[in-house]
Amino acid sequence: MSFLEYNIKTTPTGIRKVLYVNWFLVLLICSVATIGFVMLYSVAGGSFDPWVSPQIKRFAMGMALMFFMAMVPVWFWRSIAGMAYFVALILLVFVEFTGETGMGAQRWLNLGFMRLQPSELAKIALIMVLASYYDWLEISRTSRPLWLLPPLGLIALPTMLVLRQPDLGTSLLLIAGGGAMMFFAGVNLLYFLAVMIIGVGVVAAVFLTRGTEWQLLKNYQYGRIDTFLDPASDPLGGGYHITQSKIALGSGGWTGRGFMQGTQSRLNFLPEKHTDFIFTTLAEEFGFLGAASLLTLYVLIIVFCVISALRNKDRFSSLLILGVAFTFFLYFAVNMSMVMGLAPVVGVPLPLVSYGGSAMLVLLLGFGLVQSAHVHRARSK
Amino acid sequence: MTRIPLRPLARILEARSKGENPDRIERDNLRHRHEEMRGRSRLRAEGRLVVLAGLFLCAFIVVGVRMGVLSQSEPRETQGAASGVSIATARAEIVDRNGRILATNMATHALYAQPPMMVDHEVAARELVKIFPDMDEEKLLAQFGGERKFLWLRRKISPEQQQLVHDIGEPGLLFGPRDMRLYPNGNLAAHILGGAGFGREGVSAAEVVGVAGVEKRFDDWLGDPENSGQALQLSLDLTVQAAVEQVLAGGMGIMSAKGAAAVLMDVYTGEVISLASLPDFDPNNRPRPLTQGDAADSPLFNRAVQGLYELGSTFKIFAAAQAIELGLVNQGTMINTRGPITSGGFRINDFHDYGPELSVTDVIVESSNVGIARIAIQIGAERQQEFLASLGLLTATPLELIEAPGARPLKPRRWQELSTMTVSYGHGLSTSPLHLAAAYASLLNGGTLVTPTIIRQEGVARGARVISSEVSAQARDMLRQVVVRGTASFGDVQGYQVGGKTGSADKPKETGGGYYDDKVIATFASVFPANDPRYVLVVMLDEPEIFASGELRRTAGWTAVPVAAEIIRRAAPLLGLKPEIASQGASGVTLTSN
Repeated sequence: MSFLEYNIKTTPTGIRKVLYVNWFLVLLICSVATIGFVMLYSVAGGSFDPWVSPQIKRFAMGMALMFFMAMVPVWFWRSIAGMAYFVALILLVFVEFTGETGMGAQRWLNLGFMRLQPSELAKIALIMVLASYYDWLEISRTSRPLWLLPPLGLIALPTMLVLRQPDLGTSLLLIAGGGAMMFFAGVNLLYFLAVMIIGVGVVAAVFLTRGTEWQLLKNYQYGRIDTFLDPASDPLGGGYHITQSKIALGSGGWTGRGFMQGTQSRLNFLPEKHTDFIFTTLAEEFGFLGAASLLTLYVLIIVFCVISALRNKDRFSSLLILGVAFTFFLYFAVNMSMVMGLAPVVGVPLPLVSYGGSAMLVLLLGFGLVQSAHVHRARSK
Repeated sequence: MTRIPLRPLARILEARSKGENPDRIERDNLRHRHEEMRGRSRLRAEGRLVVLAGLFLCAFIVVGVRMGVLSQSEPRETQGAASGVSIATARAEIVDRNGRILATNMATHALYAQPPMMVDHEVAARELVKIFPDMDEEKLLAQFGGERKFLWLRRKISPEQQQLVHDIGEPGLLFGPRDMRLYPNGNLAAHILGGAGFGREGVSAAEVVGVAGVEKRFDDWLGDPENSGQALQLSLDLTVQAAVEQVLAGGMGIMSAKGAAAVLMDVYTGEVISLASLPDFDPNNRPRPLTQGDAADSPLFNRAVQGLYELGSTFKIFAAAQAIELGLVNQGTMINTRGPITSGGFRINDFHDYGPELSVTDVIVESSNVGIARIAIQIGAERQQEFLASLGLLTATPLELIEAPGARPLKPRRWQELSTMTVSYGHGLSTSPLHLAAAYASLLNGGTLVTPTIIRQEGVARGARVISSEVSAQARDMLRQVVVRGTASFGDVQGYQVGGKTGSADKPKETGGGYYDDKVIATFASVFPANDPRYVLVVMLDEPEIFASGELRRTAGWTAVPVAAEIIRRAAPLLGLKPEIASQGASGVTLTSN
């Protein structure tokens, strides 16, 4: 769909666009963010400092950004998709040389007013560039092997750079997000099946060769896998986070200990309690009901996105929406699994709740794109 | 896929006939085809979304169920013991024969740091250096800032230090409980106890393992959790040990000796009541082994057990007793003491000229090398070896110290006539003072073998007979004579009937070949009371010198003997021996009545 095809009469213009924003989505985002503020307030021991105030400021900034992006027509975003991807790559290369190190991994870029993780930006850029690629590509060519190469290259480049930082978690998320985009675009299922079989084969090879001369990983890497599979084997070392967060979840029970009554997190048993492990505080203080409520809100966000994507006739728009929704899904699914010991500890924040600027800003940026696609969708006459 | 032709000939002809533009047909068809394709891809995309929805659903269910399960689970604190193998604590105590504590455990703490949890590296490093002045602030900072997530700072800290570290308020400085081995008596019995260190070490516990002495010899038993709460009872008597060490240290100081050793042994049971070696050390803080020089100069070296010395004339009683036992001589047989004897280019001479002949008793009393060598020739090399072996002088002692099995006596390479003669007066055969004490006990207790032990024994188990009780009694008599009128006259302690034999052996040169003429090992091996033997005491001084009666004295009679006498004077009452003061008779007493 080009600008000329765009049916200008049925599309809102000017300030009226605000009315056509998906307000349910905005409401859901605000609710989740509010839960985040409440939890940060509790973790800080009943204080707006040091986490709540900056978080609110950043959220407000992010919301403004989201509305701004929603106002910009979606074809503009399509036209700059390649540029955005290029900029993200440049930033990734840039942090390689000048980035600041946070918690053992080099991934921050100091912008003065905030520290940005280019790897987060790269996720959105990757979604944009893949969506525009498949919008441009003739549908009949989607599954041709030769036409699979460009998207694979587009995924591989940022993944390599992020892996060098080193940030295994984010690079896996990049691969998953990119793979999902190809899946949505309609790449033949046989390719995915093949990749899955190869993956299972590699995992099997890694485990089967353990202890032999040909083992594929170093011993300490096996150690990490062991810790993931059985955190109790090393409760004070690598398994510490998981063991403690499981204790927190268990002590929450069905209804929780009550607001500001959590012990595990308040008594400093848990490092990272305000960032990646904030879910444990929620689960401890508000119990299963609180945690399930948050999960429901997340599910609703995904559902709204998917509905919006289905109703959108433009290929770029629906791919974009689905991509953002899937990235969002990955965030909270991986975070929750990690906290509950279902996945290894990789540094993935709980979206819109964890303290931290980059992830929130980038997610709101993504939702801005979703809103833009929603507002500027082609409407039937 | 069946394709509808874009320009079906029939329709084009038809259009042409109607005068319409045939290109429009092609465009229409193309549009239709595209719409169809789009519709198909749409269907496919929706199918994919269903797959995706299924995936999401699965993920939500998994996460939700897991959440429910976890919230139902009982919160269980992890136990420190879960980190690897459980480490046994509460090592058994060690007590003396009266139950007084020699080694016990004390709960202390180890200090470690977890840099990732630290709030302020610089403050922590600065404050730590204030508490532990030997720490290096720069090094600490480098360690805290480095890659390490965990590092030990101190293995053992006192409660005061713990409080001070706690007061820093740094969450990254943590304490792990430690069972520490404590020797409340400090240096006392250091060589027997040995010491303990840490073996396998975890955050919340560490295994205590023995590193020397009894601690190492009985490491398995002491560390066995089944024995925790029990105690290992030694034969040692703490008060006697204290007295022996004190007197020995005093004597060593006066005589300017470089080392000293003493062994006090029960004559029947072989129990070691006291065993001292100087210089000593504090087992709470064992010094490091010497990295250069002679290991025997280290305070860790146990001269009484590990030290092998030529113990000189103290050996003469063995030859004399054996000769009497064999019926070759009796106490009164006169022995030719005219010297020197030459054998194989070697001359045996006496310290003094004792005239043409002496009785066997006087050979002992006067300590004549020539006399005892002539007796030894009669015994012969083979029988001498048999007898010395039966007394345990040719093999390592079975004493329950980890060091004892290593102390194997140094025997002459070829034990022929010359060796037989020299060994009879204690040269050519090197043994430890403990060997000598055990051999004296076997010889003098009535003639049954004793096995030296450091563990308290219940009752007396008589060993194999090594010599008849009559000869044993005669040997005691001869030794008593040595003290009454011989070389050990300073050894008489009133009321305790001390008998013994001196030995002053020139020290062999370390380089080999010959002996120093100004360095001796002075030994006094004694038994008390001689008429009813109860204890054997061996005192040995390494290179003693004392200026007495106008000249520099080194011989045992002037050095080891007075020290031994002082030990007996102090220890005998502690051992429960009553002095036997002989009636002085009526001669000097003036009767007031009558």
